[in-house]
Amino acid sequence: MDNRAPRPAVPAPRGRRRKGPNRFTPGLLGSYALVLVYALTLVLPLYWLFISAFKSQLDAVDAPFAPTFSSGFDNLTRVWDLLNLGDAMVNSLYITAASLVVTLVIAIPAAYALARSQGRIATLFERIYAMGFLIPGFAALVPTLLLAIQLGMFHTREFMILYLPASAQPLAVILLTQFMRTVPQELEESATIDGAGRFRVLRSIYLPLTMPGIATISILNFISFWNDYLYTLVIVGPNAKVRTLQVALPTLQGNQGITDYALVCAGTLISVLPVFLVYAVLNRRMENALVQGALKG
Amino acid sequence: MTAVLDTPVVARPGGGRKRGRTRDRGLIVFALPSVIWYVIFTIGPLVAMFVVAFMDWAGLAAPASFNGGENLDRLFGDERILTALKNTAVHMVVSLPIIMVGAFMLGYFLNLKLPGHRILRVIMFVPALISLSAMGMLFVAVLGPTGLVNSALDEVGLGEHATAWLADPAWAMPSLILVTIWSGLGFTGILFAARLSAIDNEIYAAAELDGANHWQKMWRVAYPIARDYFGVLTMLQYLWTLFGSAGMILLLTRGGPGESTSTLSWLVYRFGFRSPDVGYSQTIGLVLFVLGIVGLVIIRRVFRARY
Repeated sequence: MDNRAPRPAVPAPRGRRRKGPNRFTPGLLGSYALVLVYALTLVLPLYWLFISAFKSQLDAVDAPFAPTFSSGFDNLTRVWDLLNLGDAMVNSLYITAASLVVTLVIAIPAAYALARSQGRIATLFERIYAMGFLIPGFAALVPTLLLAIQLGMFHTREFMILYLPASAQPLAVILLTQFMRTVPQELEESATIDGAGRFRVLRSIYLPLTMPGIATISILNFISFWNDYLYTLVIVGPNAKVRTLQVALPTLQGNQGITDYALVCAGTLISVLPVFLVYAVLNRRMENALVQGALKG
Repeated sequence: MTAVLDTPVVARPGGGRKRGRTRDRGLIVFALPSVIWYVIFTIGPLVAMFVVAFMDWAGLAAPASFNGGENLDRLFGDERILTALKNTAVHMVVSLPIIMVGAFMLGYFLNLKLPGHRILRVIMFVPALISLSAMGMLFVAVLGPTGLVNSALDEVGLGEHATAWLADPAWAMPSLILVTIWSGLGFTGILFAARLSAIDNEIYAAAELDGANHWQKMWRVAYPIARDYFGVLTMLQYLWTLFGSAGMILLLTRGGPGESTSTLSWLVYRFGFRSPDVGYSQTIGLVLFVLGIVGLVIIRRVFRARY
């Protein structure tokens, strides 16, 4: 993206002049307009979502684009109590954080092993992970539920903490393995000569040197764990005690549909806020993580 | 699969290699927890799908028994499957080309670094951050009877065109397709931008000397270079659309009105949970799986690098 090192071979002014004649052709202006229209379709619903969360149900219909702020934080507190979002938030955090820890604890040693061994078993393992990219998560929804029942973990959050890290392994291990391969082996050798064991080598050499990779997979998995809907819905279920934010939110819809969009907007706003907050802090990092993750996945 | 294609051949630090191999034999143990975990919770259920697909199993609580290929026979006489197949095809044939071609052009556009490209990038990222359920609720509200679209139509005096978009048989499928495009276009565009930024400016410069305009540079220069990547992203988008539509349909239309948005992926969910017929659900899952593989092979052939 933008933060690549500039190419010294092409001095910027020359490049700009060369682009000159092409710059504002009608075709380009037309494309610009189209891109802006698409951007507007992305921004407008979010703007509407945001302002509707703070207005009365009536205002939301009558003055859709005016930020009237007519009901203050009413909708937010109402939807918070109605859906028991406090518990939902805690459940989401619990599942996300615990799954993230498990993911890292099993993926880091695996990546270390794959990066440093070349045997047939290592190749076989890499193949198994690669298969994971062929399997869209949704395909095995029903059998995974059967497994949860078999293990007596149906309707528990803990099964998600077992399942989510498993689903994250291929991407996490393959991305991390690439990071670990860049660590010079000489470092490891000299540490071994000084008497360091394998765990010590992993902790004191590989962990610090591959922090960017670990950050990348943490961000990626934070988003995908926090946002998971179908699996959590089916396995953890809609019981208010254990359900997550993502499962709680659509229950607003009920059976006969909903008319109070102000309330829906308030609930949706609460559910997207955590990810957007993290994005506000880590935006460059998060963008790079998502791009890298998609490139490999 | 992309991992296999993309994994760069990283030169392993040379000298210690032979010694390393013998010494590191025990190291592979470190990978076992991850592999075992992964096999139990991901590969295992997938294999189970192939077994359940040949079972007569009414509901999760009901007893199950094998019925051979009976489920498969049922498939062929089932109107609902035919409708779902048609809906899946429409959903795919409309959204996939628009997303892929649009995203490629968007990626090229973002790389021109025209004024405002930074803020545009941030905006394009939004769909990648929102969860399925938030996106679903957003569109339930946006497309609802008194939602954003209808209020907006009212504002500009086109109120008589307002309708309950998701409940209107004529509009439910187009709405679903639009939501698919809305959520897929921006992020795929960013991915293309990342790939295209690796193309050397000199190559474009040479094309410009020959009088190429943006359109020609995009399709005659950038596209052939990024062709294999185009194929990879097409495969991913294909799989997401094919398998992933169930979640969005559950939130927006539940297959309705009538059967107008019932895709194969939705049927897997529907027979799995809403009107349980678990064995049959997995038989449809099997069909989906086969369609997935066939699609991947075709896409792979079409976009194989030709240089």
